[in-house]
Order: sequence, then C-alpha cells, then structure tokens
Amino acid sequence: MSKIKNWYMQIYHKLFHLDDRLLLIIVGSIAGMCSGLAAVALRLSLEHVFEWLHPFRQYGWAFVLPAVGAVLSSFYLEKIAREGAGHGVPEVIYSVSRYGGLLRFRSSYSRLIASFLTIGSGGSAGPEAPVVMSGSAIGSNLAKFLGLNDRQRITLVGCGTAGAIAAIFNAPIAGLVFSVEVILGEWKFVNIIPIAIAAVAGTQVSHAIIPEQVIFNHIPFAVSYNDIFPSICLAGVTALISIVFTKTLRQTKKIAQKTSLSFWSKALLGGCTVGLIGIYMPVVLGEGYHFIQSMISGTFSMGVFVIFVAVFAKIFATAITLGWGGSGGIFAPSLLIGSLIGIFFHKFILLIFPNVEIAKEGAYALFGMTGIISGVMQAPLTGIFLIVEITGGYETILPLILVSSISSTMSHYIEPASFYFKELIERGQFLRPGTDERILADLNLGELIETGYDTFSENMVFRDFIEALKSSNQNFFPVIEDDTGVYKGVIQISAIRKYVLDPGVYDMIFLNQIMDTDVLTASLENGLQEVLDMMENNNMDTIPVVEHERFVGMISKNRILDLYRRELIMQTSVY
Amino acid sequence: MELSVLELSKRLGVTPITIERWLRQGNLPVSSKGTHCRFNKKDLENWASKRNISLDFSENKNLSSPEKEHPLLSAAIQDGGVYYDIKGDNVHQVLKNSIDKFTVIPQDFKDDLFDRLARREAALSTGIGKGIAIPHPREQLHYLTSPVICVSFLDHPVDYNALDQKQVFVLFFILCPDLKLHLHLLSALSFCLKDFQFIQFLEQKPAAGLLIKKIEFLQQRNTI
Amino acid sequence: MNYTLLHIFRNTPFGRETFLQSLYFCKTIHAYPVVYIPKTDKFLMYFPNDAVQIDLDNSYLFSPKTAKKHVLELFDYMQIAPQFYMPKNFTASSLPDIPANFDYLCCPRSVSDLSSKIGLGHIGPKVRRIIKHATFPVLIASPVFKPWKSISVFFGGSVNAMNALRLGLKLALSSGLPLDVFTLLEKKDESYYENFIENQDFPETIKQLIRQWHFYKKSQFDKMLYEVPHDSLIVLGAYGHGIIKEFLLGSKMEKIQSTVMNNLLITGPYCSISL
Repeated sequence: MSKIKNWYMQIYHKLFHLDDRLLLIIVGSIAGMCSGLAAVALRLSLEHVFEWLHPFRQYGWAFVLPAVGAVLSSFYLEKIAREGAGHGVPEVIYSVSRYGGLLRFRSSYSRLIASFLTIGSGGSAGPEAPVVMSGSAIGSNLAKFLGLNDRQRITLVGCGTAGAIAAIFNAPIAGLVFSVEVILGEWKFVNIIPIAIAAVAGTQVSHAIIPEQVIFNHIPFAVSYNDIFPSICLAGVTALISIVFTKTLRQTKKIAQKTSLSFWSKALLGGCTVGLIGIYMPVVLGEGYHFIQSMISGTFSMGVFVIFVAVFAKIFATAITLGWGGSGGIFAPSLLIGSLIGIFFHKFILLIFPNVEIAKEGAYALFGMTGIISGVMQAPLTGIFLIVEITGGYETILPLILVSSISSTMSHYIEPASFYFKELIERGQFLRPGTDERILADLNLGELIETGYDTFSENMVFRDFIEALKSSNQNFFPVIEDDTGVYKGVIQISAIRKYVLDPGVYDMIFLNQIMDTDVLTASLENGLQEVLDMMENNNMDTIPVVEHERFVGMISKNRILDLYRRELIMQTSVY
Repeated sequence: MELSVLELSKRLGVTPITIERWLRQGNLPVSSKGTHCRFNKKDLENWASKRNISLDFSENKNLSSPEKEHPLLSAAIQDGGVYYDIKGDNVHQVLKNSIDKFTVIPQDFKDDLFDRLARREAALSTGIGKGIAIPHPREQLHYLTSPVICVSFLDHPVDYNALDQKQVFVLFFILCPDLKLHLHLLSALSFCLKDFQFIQFLEQKPAAGLLIKKIEFLQQRNTI
Repeated sequence: MNYTLLHIFRNTPFGRETFLQSLYFCKTIHAYPVVYIPKTDKFLMYFPNDAVQIDLDNSYLFSPKTAKKHVLELFDYMQIAPQFYMPKNFTASSLPDIPANFDYLCCPRSVSDLSSKIGLGHIGPKVRRIIKHATFPVLIASPVFKPWKSISVFFGGSVNAMNALRLGLKLALSSGLPLDVFTLLEKKDESYYENFIENQDFPETIKQLIRQWHFYKKSQFDKMLYEVPHDSLIVLGAYGHGIIKEFLLGSKMEKIQSTVMNNLLITGPYCSISL
C-alpha cells in the first residue's frame, strides 16, 4: 500500500512539480473557459442593451445616452472599483513583465462592468480590451489561488487573454496569436500549448452558449491577381489612417488630462459629444459589430463621401469616448475604421476605373481591417489570423499578408511604438523577456553586492595600513569614522601606489589624508541601470555602495557580467 | 540528496536573494515548497546541464573553501632536514654533495635537480650575502608532495660569487612543488635572515632542533 | 544592519500620532524611517504572491503643501535624518507601485476608514491583507503616540510563533530594552516550551535575553492581557490558515487587537525572521 502511495507521490511530483505542462494545460483550459464566459457575457449583454435602447434613439434627447453611460462608467471605476480609467492592456503587459503577471482580483470584473456601461449606452469603444483585462486577471488569480510561480502565472495570464479573444471573435488562433504576440512577447514551447488549449476552450464556451450567433459570418470571396496592386495601395492608406488614429487617441487624452474638470463632468462632456455625432452618424455608436458584418456581406449602403467622413467621425468619437472618461478598448473601433476604409477604397477605385475586375467590397473591408489592426497594434500576425478566421477561408490570405505586413512596417517606420506599448516605452517599462532592460530590472543591487570588506578607521597610521595590506586580498579599502562608523571615503590600491613604495611616508600620514572622498557611491535604492550609467560615465569598474552613510559593499563589473549572463540564460532557456 | 536555499546559493555562486527570486519566477526545480525550500540534487543536475550552468557537487570542494594554508617555514625545514659538514671547494661541488645527502629527493631525480640548480646559479648567484645562499630551481618540482627546505652547513666556507663577496657557510635549499609556495617561503626566510642575531646564531652551526625552535620564535613575530 | 521602515504619512493630527510612533520605533531599534507622502488616493503593493491595492481615504491627500513641512518638522523633533520615498514605477498613471522590500511597515489599524471611526476598532481588511502577504513585520501603531519601555512577546510554542519570538529577541538586542514572554498554556505544560527553546539555535542567548517568562492557564487569557505592561511593544505572530479563518489565532488575535491599546508588531505567515 505504501509502495503505491510512494509511486503516486513520485508521479504526482514528476507531473505537477518538475514538469508542469499537464498542470498548466488543465488550469489553462479552466482559465480559458472562465474568460470565455466573461467575454460571452459581455457580448450578450451589450447586444441586449443595444436592442433595448434602440427605440429611444429616435428621440432628440438620445444624445445624452452615451453621456449617462460614460458618467456611470467613470463613477464606477473611480469610486467603487477604484481603478484608473484606460483600456488596461498596458497594465497587463506591465504586470507580466515586471511582477510575474500579478493582477488584482477586482480587475477581473471591474472593466467588464465599466465598458458595458460605456459601450452599451452608445460610447464608441471596443469590448476586447476589457475582456482581455478580465481574462488575464482571471488567469492570474487562478494562479494565485493555486500558489503557482511567476512563470506559470504568466502562462495562465496568456491563457485567460487567449480565451477571451478567442471567445469574443470565435477565433481560437487569433486568440493564441494575440496573447503571445502582444501580451507575453515570447514564443516559448511551454507557453504555446496551454494557451492554444485555452483559446480552444474559450471558443467552445462561446459556441455552447450562443451556437448560432457567430460574430461575423463566413463569406467566401474570390480574390484574383487583379487585387494585389489595389491592396498594396490600400495598405498605405491604412498605415496612414492608423497613425492618425493613434495620434488622435493620445492627443485627446492629453487634452483631457490638462483640463481641470472633475471626472464626471469630463465624462458628461465627452459622452454628449459622442452622442451628438451619433445622431448624424449612427455608425460611430457602440462597438459596431453589426455594421462590420453588413460591410463584409456587402449590404452596407452609404455614399463614398459619407463613408470618408464616417472614418474620421469614428476616429474622433473613439478618441473622445476613451480619452474623456469612458472605458473600453480600440480593437473593435479599429475593425470598424478598417472596414470603412476598405469599402471606401473599393468604391473609390470603381469610381475611377469603372471596368476593372476586382473582388467584392466585402473583401476590401477585410483588407482594411487587417491593415488597421496591424498598423495600430503593430501585431501583423494577429491581424492576419483574426481576419482569416473571421472569414473562415484562406482565399484571401495573400492580399491579407501583403496588407498586414506593409501596413505594420509603414506605421512602425513613422511611429515606432505601437498603441499598446507606447505608454510603457515612454515610462521605460517595456520589459520583454530576454531583453537588456528586463535583465537589468530583474537584477537588484542586493544580489550583486559583494560584502565582507574590512573597513579601516580614518585615524589609522599608514604603516599599520601597509601591514594590513599584506594580509588582505581586497583591492578597495573603505574608510570609516571611528565612533559612528560613518563612511568617509575609499582607498584604491592603484591610487596609492606611489606612497606604498615609499617607506619614508609610512609614519607621516593617516588614512584620511590619502583616501579618496570624491568617489561616487551608489545606494541600494538605485536601479542597476542607474548604477551602470554611473560607472560608465565616470569610467569606474567598481563602485562602493553606501546606505544611510554606512558602507555596505562594492559592486563590480565582473560580478555584474557574471550574474547578467546567468540571468540571460534563465530568461531565454527553453524549458 | 537534498539541498537548502543557502547551500544551493553557494554552489551557484549567487546570493540567496537571487535563489529566492528564481524560485518565485519558477526558474528552479524545487522539490518541496513552503517556508523552507529543498532541492533535489538529481533534478538540479538535470536542470543545470540543460542550461549549460556549471553546478559543482563534488564533496571535496568545501562549501566555504577556506584559504589554502601557507606552509610554515619551520615545518618546511623539519621536512627537509638539516645537514652538516658538507665538503666541497666550489659552488658545483657543494651543491652536488648536498643533494646526494638529501633524503627527501628520490634518487632518480637527484641529477636533474643538480642540473637545474647549476643552471640557476649560472644565471645569477643565489648567494644573498652575509655568508648565506638560497639555491633553488626556477621550475616547480612535481615529485614533491609538500614544500621542503633543506639546510646544509658547509665544512668550510666557499666562494659563491655572492653580492657582498663574502664566503658562504650555509645553504638553504628551497624545493617546492608549487611556485606560489616558493615565493612565500622565500619571503619568510628572508625575513628571518634580516635578523642580525639569527645570522650569528647560524654561524654556530646549531643542532636541527635548536634551529627549528629559533625559527618558530621568529615566525611568531612575522605573521605572514 | 540597515533596517528600514516604510511609513505612509497621513497629514492629520491622527496621522501625526502614528508617525511619531513610527519615529519612536525606529529611534529605539536603530532603524531608518522612509516616508511616503501619497499623491494619489491609491497605490499597489506587489508581494511575492499577491498584488494588494491600498485605497486611501481623502485624509491622506489632505493639504499636500503642508504635508512635507509637517513630516520634516517631526523628523527634526525626533532628530532623525529625513528620508522620503518617491515611487519609481507606476502600474497605471494614477497607481504607483510601492515595493515590498522594506523591513517594517507602519500602519494605523485601518487605512481606508474614517479615522473617527477607528478609535480602537478592528484592524481593517486592507491591513489584514498586508499582514497576510507581507514578508516583513507590520507595526500597528496605537491611536495615540505611546512610547514603550519593554517588549512583550506572545509565544504560542509553534514554529511560526518562533518567528515572533525571534523578532522580539532581535528588537531587544538592538534596543537594549527588556523582553518578557507571555504564554498561555494550552494542552502543553511549561517544560514543553523550555524544551522548544533548547532545540533552537543559540538557546543560551535566548534565555539570557528573556527577562521573565510568564505562564498563564488556559482560562486566564484576560488576566494575561491585563498583566502585559501597558508601556510595552507587543510582538505576536498571525498566520493565515485556510480561506475562512483570517488568522490561526482566530478569536484570540481579534481579542488582542481590540482590547489592548499597546503598539502591536505582527509577523505574518510569509515573514521569516532570522537572528
């Protein structure tokens, strides 16, 4: 009996401790299902509230609806959930790269509610980012509950994200790709399998609950070689528009931050503006999935010029909604803008060359979407796979890849940081695994410091010091004050060489006469980056660390290199 | 075999803080969690080999790796032995006759040692003055297990091409398996030879026991 | 050693009392206080296995102009070199991260309730979560500045309780103040506890440092609480156990924190103190 138990323990240990793949797959699929549920819940409730509010939209006062939603949403976020506004994706990336994916439990529902209020009332924003936030928070809290370590937690955060995206678009591969490309930033074997399974689990959940309602129907398109050149031109247009879009988003946010109004009056103002635009241009309201659907299927009826205006109206409305207190993401708005551009471009070509034989305008809507997604997020794979999966066919893949790669390259050229990363890069917190910044951020001074240095009194006679020098293997000799132990300076062998060889001065000088008091010192609060900069700028190989005027130890470049390499191995090793 | 965080940190040459962070990040194969983590040796070896990390498990490498003890001068003389009344009229003869008497040198290597010493003398005399010479080879002698100093008191003083042209009456042979030890013994010996009284004491050709005692006494004054 | 204590400054008379308590604590045990003057009404603390958001009430943000001045005055009053903490990292623009690598943290009994309600109320839920996840001991300051002249350790005889005892010993060593140990005899008798000490490292030092060991019968809990010197710092362990129980001490911990006015220094389940 005990033998069986022993076996069981060994197998358990092997399966769940040493090699955690099985564990991650099981927990990951749970995370995927939970976040899938959250995504489906948000989608269904958004559809219902949109329908419920539909009759009211014909009244003149309907423009206050988005305002009410925005006020409620920002009130909820600020006062009840007490989370900052914003779409939350940078927060997830930040937490994944710096704190092993630790997220608060409240994040798993707060953004859902806030974005439900914003989007349901007609604010122009997407439900994806909130769903990503809540999915990743679900994954993170599941890991916390099970007491998993950082690496496992990060995988589960990825699982939650993948499940959420997969469920909302009914696109498992897009979920996987988005999660790895945008959130985690590393393609590791151990990550990909649980995340893929979580994505499938999320999709299955959404299938099981709303079997007949696929968000975008599969429509086959016949794409010929004639479409290649137009799609290249379209890619250029989408790149430009995505830059306009990101710039507008950031500018409006900056203006909102400068405005000294209370948060609810900002939300009120922003909401009313969106509502007013919505009266004339209903396409800007809400997340706009059904408009996208009608554009793909070719039943969207708007004039060329109107569509052109609608693109900018949507950009503006989204910027206002998100910048002025609403809550939500930019994924769905990007899709809508993309499809608007796509059909505008299609109509424009047909206007100039009426006889040219190109694919239907629905296909161009798809190309436009890919272009904007790749341009705004600079995640080309997500763009390609999402659209391929949405349409359910690979007929369009060639132009899709073209548009996606050109658009992301062009927008990267003009604006090197994508929308999700920009904020993090500006704060210096974009720490992808295996990068220099990440290693420097992970290593802290406490780990690098070499202690065990003998300290010397400043009143020591030089002869005594020479005697001590004989039996010491230090190269640096910290000098401290007698009674208080306060750090005074440091003696470097290289600096005192000429005195050491001159026995005549042995009894003439005290240590405080030859010590170097101008040597820069680091403190344990400094980051490694700062310390390295200090060493670089002053041409030092070793720097003393002084904390509260007490000498603690030295940091040397040798030691840094040693640990830096270890850290690099740790972070890049394929588990 | 199981290891604790502290032991592992010493094996890997990092601080326990780093080990704890790696644990938190899930980079180490841990066998039991809780407040006191333990690591299984086999799992660790497996883990380290996958990552090209050197992980020394050999037991003889002490965890604290204490400083190699420097041999004492007196001990080296004790091991080497003191020899009296060495005959000879020139440098080569006294060297040859001394080596023949040394018991610590294996018979097969005696010629080799003489060659080396003769070459060293040809390059620069080891007579340091005051009637003392310190013949030593420039290479390490791998056949010795520990450093030895053989002392040969000569039958009559010999001209040794010393710096002060004084005739040499005593030879200190420093024979080491390791050049580092050689340097150490040389400096310890020269410290003793700086003492004027010690030279006078040597001139009396003291018995081995007395000589070692005297050196032990001098050693205590010089702590290196 | 360089021990640091993080203090989150509340710019009110109540906050002043708490801060004086922190300063006194640091001065006595030769630690260094680091003051954080909040600029936003919330911040995040990342512990090894949890992220805790601390929501502060408006009294923390009251009059930021005078806050720094007040802090400097109090530092000056206690003759300690001032040191401030400036958050370097932000999870979101209004959500700074406060690192969890301090050696001590000072908390009032509640950070998010109105101070008028606290008088001697329960330890608030946020403070509980900090204690539960902290890798450092948490100083729960008494409502009014109350200098202490001795250290009292509540020792229950478990491995975890040893943490509290070790912490008490450490404080006694660095401050030179006398140390009393209070034990409530539950199931075991006195010799068990003495054996327990024998099995620790440096049993002789431990015995030397302890001024007196008070034993109480199981029913004498209230008597024990009354006999704890009013001017002593109480050191005790609190260990989360399961999801339902906040602390293993359960009712006892609750009783201690709601009846005793003294300053409490609590070690949580993730604290590990070495001598």
